[in-house]
Amino acid sequence: MSSTPGRTHSGRAASRRSASLSTRRSRTALLFVLPQVVGLIAFTGVPLVASLGYSFTHWDLVAPAPTFVGLDNWAHLLSDDRIPAVLWNTVRFILVGTTSLLVFSLIAALLTFTPRRGVALYRAALFLPYVLSQIAVGVVWRWMFNTNSGPIAGIWEFFGGDSPDWLLDPATAMPSIALVTTWQTIGYGMTLYVSALQGVPASLLEAATIDGANRWQRFRHVTVPMISPTVFFLTVTSLIGAFQLFDPVVAMTSASAGPATAGGPSNSTRTIVLYMYNQMFNYSERISGLGYAAALAWMLALIIFLITAAQFALSRRWVHYDDPVVRASRKRARA
Amino acid sequence: MSAIAGPRPWSRASGRERLGTVSYHGLMTAMVLAYIFPALWAVSMSFRTDENMFAADQLIPHPVTLQHYARLFEALPGLGQYFLNTVVIAVLGTAGTLLSSSLAGYALARFQFPGRGVLLATLLLTLMVPVHATLIPQYVVFRELGWLNSALPIIVPLLFGTPFASFFFRQYFLTLPRELEDAAAIDGAGPWRAFFRIMAPLAGPAYLALGLLTFVSLWNSFFINSIYLAKQSSWVLTQALQSLIGRYTAQYGAIMAGVTLVSLPILIGYLVFQRWIVRGVSMTGLAN
Repeated sequence: MSSTPGRTHSGRAASRRSASLSTRRSRTALLFVLPQVVGLIAFTGVPLVASLGYSFTHWDLVAPAPTFVGLDNWAHLLSDDRIPAVLWNTVRFILVGTTSLLVFSLIAALLTFTPRRGVALYRAALFLPYVLSQIAVGVVWRWMFNTNSGPIAGIWEFFGGDSPDWLLDPATAMPSIALVTTWQTIGYGMTLYVSALQGVPASLLEAATIDGANRWQRFRHVTVPMISPTVFFLTVTSLIGAFQLFDPVVAMTSASAGPATAGGPSNSTRTIVLYMYNQMFNYSERISGLGYAAALAWMLALIIFLITAAQFALSRRWVHYDDPVVRASRKRARA
Repeated sequence: MSAIAGPRPWSRASGRERLGTVSYHGLMTAMVLAYIFPALWAVSMSFRTDENMFAADQLIPHPVTLQHYARLFEALPGLGQYFLNTVVIAVLGTAGTLLSSSLAGYALARFQFPGRGVLLATLLLTLMVPVHATLIPQYVVFRELGWLNSALPIIVPLLFGTPFASFFFRQYFLTLPRELEDAAAIDGAGPWRAFFRIMAPLAGPAYLALGLLTFVSLWNSFFINSIYLAKQSSWVLTQALQSLIGRYTAQYGAIMAGVTLVSLPILIGYLVFQRWIVRGVSMTGLAN
């Protein structure tokens, strides 16, 4: 730090002064971080623990206070056959959504990462849906998928096909929602990939060319390892987002104001958060209400934690961080 | 694309290259137009007459009508109020996040203090904690405080900063040279002055980029609002838009008018600040 003891001639006095200076600086630092620390404790730490506490209670907000029910909520959670169903829905979302996001945004980046005329405009257009609300986007796509008047069915039938019912068919509803989410997120993935691709050192690609590598081999063995941190980052964030899926499902499947009726057809698009939302304000079942919703929320947090930790563990096998050239170029890009 | 191969092997514009450029732009224009077609079509629908609503040749509506906007205001008389509610949340939430998180990020980047490592690790771990896992106790407390159906449950936590923003600022401040603060210290400026007079202005790009991203995400958010803002007068725009679904299953004109109006401020902002928003996103990628 900036206080460097021992530089002056008057040894002890100076070091005492600089020691007090560094305590003062560290006290100032604590003031700087104070709001964030208070926020972390008050709005993450304490509620996270309290949430776990609530998961051992039953409470419908009508009663004056929660009643302790032990492990009832958790036992019910393990036997609740809606849980495997919502998890399976999430997996179906991920299979279509995350994969298509990784692939399509890479294609968009490969098409636009070379600086040349017009590229900025293409990138701006491809990024545009990302800044719109998922509700607005979902509402528009709900019409796109409409079998009676929507353009997708129109195009489908123009080519002689028998259009699926998209959002009305349990088999296609979730994949359709996943593709809409990808449509909206391509610009985000593209932006990250573009930074990564621009950081791939030309010298490495040239060296590979001299060694006789063809275009595909250069891509596969130079570019892909070089951008693997971005693939990893996108996968991690995409999966964290997938498990919290809510807004697009509400926009594309709800039948009335408020999210309560979303998740159809036949619950094929019901997600963990949607189920939690419904349980939070549903007091009709023996096990429901805030206590059960808290258990569901904790289950969600645990799943996200485990999946993310597993990805970090697996990442050692395929993500290349330690290349000095990459590190240098990343540093340059950052500066 | 040729760019995979790095620098292009030819240097002068050959006929082959010109052909390549033309086909590249042709392909890209077609793809980009197809890509944003739903957005264009939605705006176009909001200006069409009912008879022309599903006509294929109406990308530029003729005749143009504003009746759907009139219908929208009839169906949602509180639209002005929802707009105001949304603005309050987005502006105050963004301001609070920027202030508290930049202070924390700066301290994490520049000061040695007890608990620094723990704080940094906690911030990173917290990035993984979904809002849902802390929602219920917060809901209970805010209900007890009588804050339901007001913007307070959404704004107040943001006034303390967010882990993502703090981490973002830390990464940014790490890239700034130390010499300026050292010079300020020699001139007798304390850390607060050095921060507000020198470092914060220098971090302008980070404030702008992150501020835009935060504003956009608050403007667009739905889940947390639907929990806290149940009463119609406290709604934000996304809730109003969602409520159209139930009321107007077949009134596409009014729905698309709603989509257009809700997105308009963001679209204008995007036209002006596009480069900064994109820069913010690439900074978040580099932060990892």
